[in-house]
Amino acid sequence: MKNCKIVSCGKKTAVMALAVSVGAMLMTGCSTSASASGSTASAGKPVVTVWAGGSDNVRVQFEKQIQQFNASQDQYTAELQFITSGTGAQGLFERVVAAKKAGQTDTDYDVIELGGDEVTKYVDEGGEDFFVPLDKSKIPNIDTLQVESTFRNDLVMPYRGTTVVLAYNSETVENPPETAEELYQWIKEHPGRFAYNTPSSGGAGGSFVTTSIYNFMDESALTSSDPANKEQWGQGFELLKELHPYMYKSSGKVVYPNKNQGTLDLLANKEVDMIPAWADMAITQMKQGTLPESIKITQIDPSFTGSPVVLGIPSIGSDQDGAYAFLNYMLTPEAQNIALDSMAAIPVIDFGLLDQELTKTIEDLKIEEFRIGSLGNLGTELYEEWDSQIGTLE
Amino acid sequence: MRQKTLGKLFPYLLILPSLIILAGVVFYPIAASLLRSFQLEEGGWGLDNYIYFFTDPIQRRNILYTLQIVIVTVVLAIGISYFLAIYLRFSNSWASRMIGRLYLLPRFIPGLVAVNGMITVIRDSGLINRISRLLGMNLQLGLMYNGKGIVLMNLWFNIPFATMLMAAALSKIPDSTIEAARDAGAERFRILRQMILPLTYRDLFVAATFVFMSNISSFTTPYLMDGNNPQMMGISLYTQFNNGHYEKAAALSVIMFLFSVLSAAVYVYTNMKENEWEKGNG
Repeated sequence: MKNCKIVSCGKKTAVMALAVSVGAMLMTGCSTSASASGSTASAGKPVVTVWAGGSDNVRVQFEKQIQQFNASQDQYTAELQFITSGTGAQGLFERVVAAKKAGQTDTDYDVIELGGDEVTKYVDEGGEDFFVPLDKSKIPNIDTLQVESTFRNDLVMPYRGTTVVLAYNSETVENPPETAEELYQWIKEHPGRFAYNTPSSGGAGGSFVTTSIYNFMDESALTSSDPANKEQWGQGFELLKELHPYMYKSSGKVVYPNKNQGTLDLLANKEVDMIPAWADMAITQMKQGTLPESIKITQIDPSFTGSPVVLGIPSIGSDQDGAYAFLNYMLTPEAQNIALDSMAAIPVIDFGLLDQELTKTIEDLKIEEFRIGSLGNLGTELYEEWDSQIGTLE
Repeated sequence: MRQKTLGKLFPYLLILPSLIILAGVVFYPIAASLLRSFQLEEGGWGLDNYIYFFTDPIQRRNILYTLQIVIVTVVLAIGISYFLAIYLRFSNSWASRMIGRLYLLPRFIPGLVAVNGMITVIRDSGLINRISRLLGMNLQLGLMYNGKGIVLMNLWFNIPFATMLMAAALSKIPDSTIEAARDAGAERFRILRQMILPLTYRDLFVAATFVFMSNISSFTTPYLMDGNNPQMMGISLYTQFNNGHYEKAAALSVIMFLFSVLSAAVYVYTNMKENEWEKGNG
């Protein structure tokens, strides 16, 4: 009996403790969200919150740009909210769209960064009024812009470009292929020494697959999401099937690694001699020394595709004027130099305005051949087709 | 009287906020995705999403592949940990004390770090290969991009955990019981089979259940170590989700959940039996 009482007492205390701690959590939760929603900083300047995600070099770039933006004017204070890929790569899209669907207004999603062909995804899920239609008169620097966003130029503004290149080990490959034809020939002559990542797990493999298929088609198809183009995929898939047995093998079986980094690791460890890779990833890792010095990059003809990375102003943000000011800043030569320096990004404004020392670092990319591949939602279908036709080959 | 009712209700009132939160962030999403799994992408309702996973050859192979890897993991992890725990419990040597101190260490290493560390060691150009090349061989383990590497990694994660559970179970067996059996002339194997095993088999099932549940939905290890085909269910779910097939993703989540429920049923069943046994004794 006595035992019983102690037990029930213990239970009660436990329940109480639980309830109190949950209550406390609730309160702290409320107080943090309350302080976060205030969009005016203590200094009295309106805060512009910039949302971006991806690899760490993107974060470094934005931090430098925001620092400079804040120092260059005294009307607004910009703040960065960064979502590192891998910890929630889907985070930003889902968060903003969820906020929009929940009917929130006056949020701190003032400016968001997204891939050029993600725009359609945002508009499909979040509604046509998801982005504020850009009032170009509020972005005077847009006059120097050289690159157009493939989709919805009225809603988003490109601020940098990235492109896929051919990365190779110069110790074993003396004369890298110069054309796509030569590349396919090289792959067949060197079985097991080439690898590309699964297209749905990263854009480098995605670009290899896309160009292998779209090189057979009309160039205009490369920036179209018209499902009718599917009918012309056959020849390209035949090519990929033909190349399949010559790909990298592990324990006797052809393997397509996951993620852009997956193939870069194979190249760094010299398990393969050649891969398609994002120029910014390869250049950054060369600078850091995680890729050996013998690794070089080159562009083939017709070139691998790249895509513009764009900024948009969600309609649920709270500070549109600040957002415009930030967009305008991102097209200044200063901001473009930072992007070029910190992540080997392809500038989107006239190269003559930029630091000539810096532009040398991306000479190998042959920017004049910057070829935008943007299939919108059709890209997902293309990659699914790859998963079922090529990914399952033995 | 009123005082008493209030007193009885008071604790429940205090848990109410947490219940409301649970309802909002756990129960509601579960119900919503359950509902969504019966929705069709083209509109309408039906079982098509489920049928797809069991009839599409690629998806069916993914499910079988996942089960195969998880079952191999469970058998190996439980087998190894059981004997490791017995060794730790009954041996008093220097080595066993050392292992006893160190075996939990892997649990303190973050998963992502451990996976990348393992890859650096076992990949075809990894540490083992480099050492073998110094010795004039070119040893390529072939553990990457297939199920073997995943099982190896799973063992790293699960042996410490299972050993911990088994060690706790074995510590409940008093030395005197074993000594008594030994005095009565029982040899080692007989003690293991007729005493230790019957006294600990429930804990074996509990450990197996936990290992099964934590591996059926694993993502990081297969994402970094596995090839592209076949895929474990966690990766397949990620692909479905990324490609915007939210309904199919929901159905696959439910399928994974059902596999976990199945193993949880084993857990509940063995636990209930324990209670019966205790009642009989009491």
